[in-house]
Amino acid sequence: MNFEELFRDFWWLMFPIFGMAMAFTGMSQSERRAKTMIDLLKTYTDQGKEPPPELLRMAAQSLDDGVNAPATRQQSNAWSFVVFAALSAGFTVGWWFIRDEGYAFAFLIVAVTMGVLAVGALLILLLGGKK
Amino acid sequence: MTEELFRDFWWLIFPVFGMVMAIFGMIQNGAREDAILRDARERLERGQ
Repeated sequence: MNFEELFRDFWWLMFPIFGMAMAFTGMSQSERRAKTMIDLLKTYTDQGKEPPPELLRMAAQSLDDGVNAPATRQQSNAWSFVVFAALSAGFTVGWWFIRDEGYAFAFLIVAVTMGVLAVGALLILLLGGKK
Repeated sequence: MTEELFRDFWWLIFPVFGMVMAIFGMIQNGAREDAILRDARERLERGQ
């Protein structure tokens, strides 16, 4: 099997591998930065000094990631729905055009996954937004 | 062979571009946050 055949059979693997690599890198980097940030804030507090505003802004931003305002959260859910629905539609169209090819299943799997995520985002938007 | 491969997979340019931009964005964001942390540490060491 030469490179071209290998690429033709497994090109779709680049997406999950990229996703995994990005998730792993992002997670490890953000963990390291959060630890450093907390250490710095603690040192400033222990010494009775005012932490730099950029550092406080960064800390507030990382806290906001978990506790968004309701309006922002709803917008975020709505945007998730739009993105997943668009991806699902795109991959469905892609699958339709290449449905006779051997690798068409990859498009269908992604389209169905994105469709389920879109429905989930829509349900959260409709049912989970009133608190 | 190469031309045929390109004809079949030209559309991969778009997701690959997206991936490159995502990596670029992550690096830039990381560098900005690292600079803030470095600056805060330097201020602390200078006793400010």
